[in-house]
Amino acid sequence: MRVILAIVAAALFVAQVWADPVVPRFLDETTSSGVDSVYAGDWEYMVGGGVATFDCNGDGFPDMVLAGGTAPATFYLNKSKQAGPLQFKAEISGLEVDKVTGAYPVDIDSDGIMDVVLLRIGENLVMKGKGDCQFSRSNEAWNFEGGDAWSSALAATFEKGASWPTLAIGNYIDRTQEMSPWGSCTDNWLHRPDGIKFAAPLALKPSSCALSMLFTDWNKSGTPSLRISNDREYYEGGQEQMWRMPAGEMPTLYTDKDGWKFLRVWGMGIASFDINYDGYPDYFLTSMADSKLQTLGDDKTKPTYKDIAFAAGVTAHRPYEGADLRPSTGWHSQFEDVNNDGLVDLFVAKGNVDAMPDFANKDPNNLLLQGAEGKFVEAGGKAGVDSVRQSRGAAVVDFNLDGQLDLVVVNRREQAQVWRNTNRSGHWIEVKLQQPAHNRDALGAVIEMKLGNKNVRREITVGGGLASGRNGWWHFGLGDAMQTKLRVVWPDGTSGDWQSVSADQFYIMDRAHPLIAHWQP
Amino acid sequence: MKCLRFVIATLSVLASVLAWSGFAQAEMSEDILGKWYGLVLQLVRHTPTYSPPVASRAFAYLGVTAFEASAAGNATTRSLVGQLNGFKSVPQLVAGQTYDEAVVLHAALGFAVDQFFDNTGPSGHRAMAALDDKLLKDAAKGLPPDVVTRSTEFGHAVAKAVLDWSQTDGGSTVENMGFPMTYQLAKGPAHWVPTSTIALQQAPLLPTWGDNRSFAMPTGASCPLPPPPAYSEDKNSEFFKEAQEVFDISKNITPEQKAIARFWSDDPMLSPTPPGHWISIALQLFERNHVNLQDQVDVLARLGIAEADAFIGCWNVKYRYDFLRPVTFIKRVIDPNWEPLMVTPPFPEYPSGHSTQSGAAAAVLTQFFGDNFAFDDATHVKDGLKSRRYASFAAAAEEAALSRIYGGIHFRAAIAQGLAQGRCVGAFATALKTRN
Repeated sequence: MRVILAIVAAALFVAQVWADPVVPRFLDETTSSGVDSVYAGDWEYMVGGGVATFDCNGDGFPDMVLAGGTAPATFYLNKSKQAGPLQFKAEISGLEVDKVTGAYPVDIDSDGIMDVVLLRIGENLVMKGKGDCQFSRSNEAWNFEGGDAWSSALAATFEKGASWPTLAIGNYIDRTQEMSPWGSCTDNWLHRPDGIKFAAPLALKPSSCALSMLFTDWNKSGTPSLRISNDREYYEGGQEQMWRMPAGEMPTLYTDKDGWKFLRVWGMGIASFDINYDGYPDYFLTSMADSKLQTLGDDKTKPTYKDIAFAAGVTAHRPYEGADLRPSTGWHSQFEDVNNDGLVDLFVAKGNVDAMPDFANKDPNNLLLQGAEGKFVEAGGKAGVDSVRQSRGAAVVDFNLDGQLDLVVVNRREQAQVWRNTNRSGHWIEVKLQQPAHNRDALGAVIEMKLGNKNVRREITVGGGLASGRNGWWHFGLGDAMQTKLRVVWPDGTSGDWQSVSADQFYIMDRAHPLIAHWQP
Repeated sequence: MKCLRFVIATLSVLASVLAWSGFAQAEMSEDILGKWYGLVLQLVRHTPTYSPPVASRAFAYLGVTAFEASAAGNATTRSLVGQLNGFKSVPQLVAGQTYDEAVVLHAALGFAVDQFFDNTGPSGHRAMAALDDKLLKDAAKGLPPDVVTRSTEFGHAVAKAVLDWSQTDGGSTVENMGFPMTYQLAKGPAHWVPTSTIALQQAPLLPTWGDNRSFAMPTGASCPLPPPPAYSEDKNSEFFKEAQEVFDISKNITPEQKAIARFWSDDPMLSPTPPGHWISIALQLFERNHVNLQDQVDVLARLGIAEADAFIGCWNVKYRYDFLRPVTFIKRVIDPNWEPLMVTPPFPEYPSGHSTQSGAAAAVLTQFFGDNFAFDDATHVKDGLKSRRYASFAAAAEEAALSRIYGGIHFRAAIAQGLAQGRCVGAFATALKTRN
């Protein structure tokens, strides 16, 4: 009987993905939610504008901090009820610092309480979580040199054997070079551990005005590399970059001799997911006009990528609605399954840099739904997320724990927006990882899920996107499947057992316990 | 005494004072010219609409602006009014009034750069404002306020006259980064088809640019070319042999050929573009050879005009023949997996734009510096490319043309005929009369 059910479920799944994707309806609940935050500032804030989402009071609901630019960052405690309207309350948390461009949640000291890294114009800050959503500066206690730069990107990992994270911080142009900012890209920093504190940062030379960074195990070697998307507007002699990061050794760049192809774009945000089920992460890169979607070539040992954005329908190069058809400007991007059909979709935040007349001023955000054979179709307008504000950072995250992914977008000079996803189609699961001792959130792990005849792989990362990071529940859409199997490949390469789980539930996979645990809000 | 730098109708000053002022005047003006052009090279690189044809147009108008601003009140210089198509007048100095040459030049260039690069990004605007403030402070130091005001107004008026003239040339509005929103591809295997999967580039760049009003050349069709070798898949045909040559070179390319391809790649938005490359060469030589201001503005005007006319003439021919790129033919007939070294530009192949404009630029620089003038070109040093040495401007132009075969983006006929067209175009610029 089980076999028959499985066959029926698989057939239904196949039938669904071949049909037009279901368009989820997002309700703009900004006003009623209590969110009232603006990413403010002029030239030095033309990039940045991030949001960090994480749970800091242990209720499972993601809380968040939004960068404010020249205004202080704002922390919002999530007061939503399960499946209810989105509700947030601004509370004093210690994160209310000005000149913040981006925010990322990382449990730096592995005490089980989330810490937050604030990227800034000026000194970056590591903020220790003290519990109950209270944070305090910990630069001195953790020997973190915040520097004095225009910081614009971050990626976090725990290198092999380390009990303390490595933070890569991307820096933008030298803001003192008023008359000639071009060619003035300042060094990116690699903050590696020194025991249970940070060592002095290592300059990653050459640096090329990073706007997005991601630690990613592109070749399944067990050692993530550092991928950096750089803004060609400002570098001289630069290109997109990927650094080898063997633990305890100096990073080295992949070059054309390794198969790395010369690519120069206005790199702004990296999204990653294995969209073609070949077992290797694929990468979406936002830019101005055409975006890129890179899949690994046939030789999986070489970092040679081919661009399939045009074929997949995700160039997102101009507005898809309205009268303003000038080329687009893309920022944060994120793969998530927003309609729970078992196929990841793609959200892209859009908005003019400032008032560049050659680019769209009314540039709606994209919601590209994946359909048959890896083709994506635009649904931003129908879904209701087609805001034409100057969007920057964002997070696609389940704020009200109903299994439907909601959305928060930070806008430059205008109010941030939050949308509740009211989709009811398809099934889902959400998973949280835990490890004892160090790297408690298992950064660098891979969650694998069986769906029909496909193996869905999700790398657990903090980084990518634009100035935004998230930590907590990791979401999978299941389509019509009522059950699936999961396993975790932990950061040290150890694979857990496949475990059966039922749809529409939350699960905690704790390395200290062999059996997956059901969780309820 | 700096207010006497530039006086008309009044020569009642001591010869010794004039000599001192003249030296300071020249230094200040040369500094202003060099700094504005240095910023322009950056703005060309960092303003997304500035594809090579668009950049060449700006260089032409900026060169004319600088020339006319410097020519005013100079009895030895002849205006370009009446020599360039549609250029009918520029303001004249008021007799008996005192002007400062450096302030006039700064005001004219500042106004023109601000207008031609109005569509640049926030950093470009910030840089323009900062440079404007600094140079004005430097130039106005010690001058009576009324001289600064009068000189600034005159400089603006000269630049505005050139700007007004530019508005009717057909190239003042560039939408969608130069790519038409709709475009009907010609049918037949010989014709251009998109060569990339960039959505914006499924239509070719600036298909009507060849209809623009030219500058010194009578019309865009004044330097016509014969058709390219007839399309053929016959291995013995001239065309097939040219395609085979591109393929064979790519399979046996030497490090030196690769370096040449990269050096002259001059990609839009990643370099000052091909016309900017030649402007950069001129600026390097001005500094090396201590070229005086009068000659600098003369060369910059002619060079800009020659390059702009070259792109108009080249585009006129490109869209007449609408010929396919090597990557299209080689993938279709010789090797479906072939990839050129360089990114293929998104417009028809014949003739090679870099060849045409290099031929035209070389004609202008040869006229001023002479034949067999050896020089080093350090345009791309900041991008990590070593400087290259050339025995003459013609040799540099030939290498620029050859780079397109090494890069796999042009056939032989396109570069040979491109250079020939460039020489034809350049002759119109070198024939301009700039001295009385």
